[in-house]
Amino acid sequence: MKRMEGLSSDRWRDSELELSDTQIIERTLGGEPDAFNMLVRRWERQIYGLTLRMLGRDDEAKDATQETFLSAYRNLSKFRGEAKFSSWIYRIALNICNTKLRGRAKQVVSLDEQREESGFEIAADLEELGSNIQQEQVARHVRRALQGLPAEMRQVIIMKEYEGLKFSEIAEILGIPLSTVKTRMYTGLAELRKRLEHLRTAV
Amino acid sequence: MHEALVSYLYNEATAEESRRVESHIAECRACAEEMAAFERVRGMLQQWQLDDMPIVRVVASPPRRSALAVLKELFSITPLWAKALGAMAMAMLVLAVMGTEISVGRDGFSMRADLLRRNQPAQAVSAGDTRIADNAMSSVNVEQVRADLRAYVNDLILASERQQKEELNAQLVSLESQLQNMHAADLAKLATRIQEHQARLKTIERDIDRREGSDLTDILFSDVLSKPDARSNVLAEKGSD
Repeated sequence: MKRMEGLSSDRWRDSELELSDTQIIERTLGGEPDAFNMLVRRWERQIYGLTLRMLGRDDEAKDATQETFLSAYRNLSKFRGEAKFSSWIYRIALNICNTKLRGRAKQVVSLDEQREESGFEIAADLEELGSNIQQEQVARHVRRALQGLPAEMRQVIIMKEYEGLKFSEIAEILGIPLSTVKTRMYTGLAELRKRLEHLRTAV
Repeated sequence: MHEALVSYLYNEATAEESRRVESHIAECRACAEEMAAFERVRGMLQQWQLDDMPIVRVVASPPRRSALAVLKELFSITPLWAKALGAMAMAMLVLAVMGTEISVGRDGFSMRADLLRRNQPAQAVSAGDTRIADNAMSSVNVEQVRADLRAYVNDLILASERQQKEELNAQLVSLESQLQNMHAADLAKLATRIQEHQARLKTIERDIDRREGSDLTDILFSDVLSKPDARSNVLAEKGSD
């Protein structure tokens, strides 16, 4: 199974040539605020991926990514190093997403916005149309199906499926028991199966 | 069972769990179907990949720039002619405010501020030069003043060009020395790393030497020999050969 991002990149992060996250944090706190940008570069893809899949909207995801790193920077001195930096920043990102989702629930969303929110724009580029069209269509359905899940299921699926985290890491990030993570994963997958089964022939 | 199923699906099951799931799936058709369906769902989930990644830059601590710094930067990017013109305009303004008198005499082009003159009137008069007040300047003198002004401006431009060149040279030299320092530091780091690697290689070589020294069968059957049952099997096979 293809993994595009996530903790599978542990190996290069631990290599001699790279500073560890903790070392960068120490540098940042020790009077080198620019060092923090190394952390941003290292983790922005993951955080953006997480927030986009949680929120389903690019503009909101970009905002959430910015907010996540700003919040991390402001609270860096509170990072004690008991958990991994990645777990810590994932937790911040999820909190920001959840706040945004709660705020969104209160808003009255117009029909147009709902439509926009629910899927990708149709590929305008004719070259993309060949083999990509099928993938685009599936992706659109996946996006919609994920958005339809309760946030607590969605976040588990996203962290497992797209971030490649272990169940124990997800449990640590969310601060819930391992068994709860697995149960949510199971229920989420079962729910997605119901919503996506009709695409069976397409894949 | 659901938890074990999920663990199995994501290759996180223990050996015990895997055995349990596999034997269950072999018997329970619903669960086998569910596993297949989950695999398909996972395949579909992977179709949603992101290609547009934003570049997030958290400006850690935006350096607060003073008005002076901004002015300096503005000045440094202003073209030379503008600087010269600006300097001239400023000079004219200051001179005008001070009520300056421009005079041309045998000793060349000279300007004197009214302020200074008022402070030292005796000195100015006693100098007794052929100073001509600007309000009384003749047309011939105006031409000369113009020529002198032009020469003066040219001098200014030349001087500022020279200064800029010097500054640039100085900057280049300092940059070069910085680069050299960095190179030296990098080289030193590389050298230590190479030494580390060499040391590591040596230990590996030593290991290999030791292994080559030992009997080949010791290595080949080192696992087998530790288990008496397996050993007897091997011996039996050898015997049959």
